[in-house]
Amino acid sequence: MQKITFEKQTFWNKLKSMIAVDFKRAFTMPLIYIMIGASLIAPILILVMVTMMEGSVSVNPQTGVETVMEGFDNVWQIIGTVSGASANAAPAMDMTAMCNINLVYFAIAVFVCLFVSDDFKSGYSKNLFTVRSCKTDYVISKTLIGMVCGAGMIVAFFIGAFLGGAISGLSFNTGDGVNSSNLLFCFFAKVLLVSVFVPIYLALSVAAKQRTWLSLVCSFGVGSFLFMMIPLITPLNATILNPVLCVVGGTAFSLGLGYVSKIILNKTSLV
Amino acid sequence: MNAIEIRNLCKNFGEKQAVVGLNMTVPVGSVYGFIGENGSGKSTTEKMICGLIRPSSGEIKLFGKDYQDDYVRAKIGVLIEAPGCFPNYSVWNNLMLQAANLSLKNPEEEIRKVLKTVRMEGSAGNKYKNCSLGMKQRIGIAMALLGEPKLLVLDEPINGLDADGMRIMREVIGNITKNYSTTVLISSHVLGELEKVATHYGIIRQGKMIMEMTAEELENSCRTFVAINTSNNDKAKALLLTNFSEVKEAENGQLRIYDAENPEAVVAFLYEKGILVNYLNTAKISLEEYYIDLMNQKGVR
Repeated sequence: MQKITFEKQTFWNKLKSMIAVDFKRAFTMPLIYIMIGASLIAPILILVMVTMMEGSVSVNPQTGVETVMEGFDNVWQIIGTVSGASANAAPAMDMTAMCNINLVYFAIAVFVCLFVSDDFKSGYSKNLFTVRSCKTDYVISKTLIGMVCGAGMIVAFFIGAFLGGAISGLSFNTGDGVNSSNLLFCFFAKVLLVSVFVPIYLALSVAAKQRTWLSLVCSFGVGSFLFMMIPLITPLNATILNPVLCVVGGTAFSLGLGYVSKIILNKTSLV
Repeated sequence: MNAIEIRNLCKNFGEKQAVVGLNMTVPVGSVYGFIGENGSGKSTTEKMICGLIRPSSGEIKLFGKDYQDDYVRAKIGVLIEAPGCFPNYSVWNNLMLQAANLSLKNPEEEIRKVLKTVRMEGSAGNKYKNCSLGMKQRIGIAMALLGEPKLLVLDEPINGLDADGMRIMREVIGNITKNYSTTVLISSHVLGELEKVATHYGIIRQGKMIMEMTAEELENSCRTFVAINTSNNDKAKALLLTNFSEVKEAENGQLRIYDAENPEAVVAFLYEKGILVNYLNTAKISLEEYYIDLMNQKGVR
């Protein structure tokens, strides 16, 4: 009788190969470069255009009410706001409040949803899951790639903000009692906050599978819900507690929602 | 040992029962032809074997182990519906991804070997999206062959291929059975092609396995017939029906007499009635005809 033997592969080996495949895929497809490019260009465009339009008056033809376009006071406004600012001093939702680094968290949703749904749309998931009954390595690998690329996009936005500030001649003075260490913590907090969003987008993407539209709609929905929370967790006057809080939150979300993603993959049809 | 052993497998999609108490045994080293109509449950069964769909109930064992066993699953190659390739990647890069996924030690060497097996050595640099349907199917097989799988599951690999594509695919499957010690489970509607490669058959209808047999058993089960061409086939058919119970006209215009004990008796009978036989042959019905007969007996058609 023919004797059949099977080689044993450790979980770590499988995880390594999965991560290698995902990173190779991510960095050989245009999507990541487009998203990072957009994250770099967006703050330059926003800062330059808003500065150019600052002071312009628009009149509502029906009511006759005049609105003066408000611009950025300094570069850091596009990165975040100072927490604890007086509520009655807070301006109404305007361009400076909406067009800031927090938009990148939506761009991360686009990246994660497209990257994951590509696995299912191309049929690659069939090759992958036929030879992998355990889905943990898939979830870990996708979470990591999402975090790395998301962090790349945040960094690109920071660089873009510096360039945009320099081009538009905006002040780099922080004011409001914010110093450079606060800015550094704010930067780290923003980067680490990616680890909270990616597991959410991943869980929605593996649930939607090849239906990219569904994963995008759900991710934007959940992203919008959490959008208001971002300035509170990652203010400009951040302390070391803010990045720590993001790490804790990211770990909890990655473990919890990673487990949920695994369950979804195990319990549902993969094609 | 059996490569696949399935007992009482069921799969429901809501109210619809796609697979109903299916039993299936695929011996190691065989080329198992899995036959059934559209919607009979072939693809669903194959997807369950590959772990892509969860069974509602039942047991699947691969090489005597549970089908969820990671070590066994690492040795399955699969081509279900269409190859899972990224369209903008080259053939080589698609194969490299799968090689990395399988943690192969010598990926380049293995890829060259499988490309040779599927006769695509010269097309490695082509973008996948620019390949023809036949090439894509062969790329899918090449991908499935990476890592020298013990079990290869091919779902309709010759669907949509032209005559030349089918011939190449037949040679490829021949190469696989010759060069790899792989058990092949292959489903197809093109029974004429399947007949040329399969060593075992399983016929599924409405989610149930209605028959499993070896190629030899099929050979023995297939009825013989006498095929003739005469100077007047219409008259000959009418006359033959008075003496033989089953006479049919084939697609090529020949008459087939199924219960004739010997061809000479047919010729002599027609000669007596003044009809000359200008073609005579004795043959066995094909797998396709056997399948149609079987389905008719089971009251499907």
